[in-house]
Amino acid sequence: MDYVTTLKILVIGESGVGKSSMILAFTTGDYNASFPATIGVDYKCKVMEVNGLKVKLGIWDTAGQERYRTLTNSFYRDAHGAILVYDVSEPKTLAKLNEWVEELQVYSTKKNIVCLVVGNKIDKPRVVPREAGQAFAMKHRMLFIESSAKTQEGINLAFEELVQKIIETPGLWESTGSSSNIRVSNEERRKQEESSCYDYTCTI
Amino acid sequence: MDDVLDEVVSSEDLQKFEKVFHEQLHQGKVTHKAQFEYAWCLVRSKYPTDIRKGILLLKELFNSHPEGKRDYLFYLAIGNARIKEYNKASHYVKSFLEIEPANQQVLALERQINKRMEKEGLLEIAFCSSDECRCRRSSLL
Repeated sequence: MDYVTTLKILVIGESGVGKSSMILAFTTGDYNASFPATIGVDYKCKVMEVNGLKVKLGIWDTAGQERYRTLTNSFYRDAHGAILVYDVSEPKTLAKLNEWVEELQVYSTKKNIVCLVVGNKIDKPRVVPREAGQAFAMKHRMLFIESSAKTQEGINLAFEELVQKIIETPGLWESTGSSSNIRVSNEERRKQEESSCYDYTCTI
Repeated sequence: MDDVLDEVVSSEDLQKFEKVFHEQLHQGKVTHKAQFEYAWCLVRSKYPTDIRKGILLLKELFNSHPEGKRDYLFYLAIGNARIKEYNKASHYVKSFLEIEPANQQVLALERQINKRMEKEGLLEIAFCSSDECRCRRSSLL
């Protein structure tokens, strides 16, 4: 185990705004023009370095489709960070983020969870002004960034800002190292060392 | 947790969706939604008997509700992989990829299934179910 902690990051928002594309761009640098709708909940992990600390991110990609709405609630539990995504070329996806904020308030269990609003698809003709996204984020006391999974613009920055803020939030996360109060048995530690998780490491 | 096959449903969720399903069952009409939600919890249970039950419910849905086919195929693959029925899991993954060959989520699941098969030394057995191997075996006899 060469990382200090594992952070649970939740990615939510309407269907088709580019949640999975953002995660793919972040974890592999790839882009797929025709991304099919996510089934249920997908999971990816990546190790990144923030303030000289190696942190493992467990990124939960939730289906935006209505049929999964009641099923994905339980994934909000214990999340350290949430990324709320809308599409800058589709104004209703920003309006709909209000519902996702409500879900987050009801189902997230960590009261100081760090949230980031992302206006995605800035490579497309813009309909939603940057200021509208910014105002929404400010109203809910969330971070804000614009991105394009297609051109990679803003993608790494989005995750970096979120993780940075989580690390700086006292009491939100616990170290999994030996300094922690939680004792990890040899068996568990061995398992953690063995785990590979298709890691991609990035450095800030 | 390293991949989706490690993910386990919470007992609260399982109970919640089980209740809805059984209520509808008593009323004599189970909706696709309720059956899928319950099956979705069952195949993510830590108990193989639950998973098998979930697989049966998904198969029923697969045959009766064409609109949800991709979801049912995906969770049929997950359920079978979780009870180590890797050949069946691979079969569902392959059926899915015939419709959506570039689906990242399903390609990742295929890698995870293969990884587990390799780890558990089952690749050889899997190959033995193919015709080629049957021929090879019969030539040995």
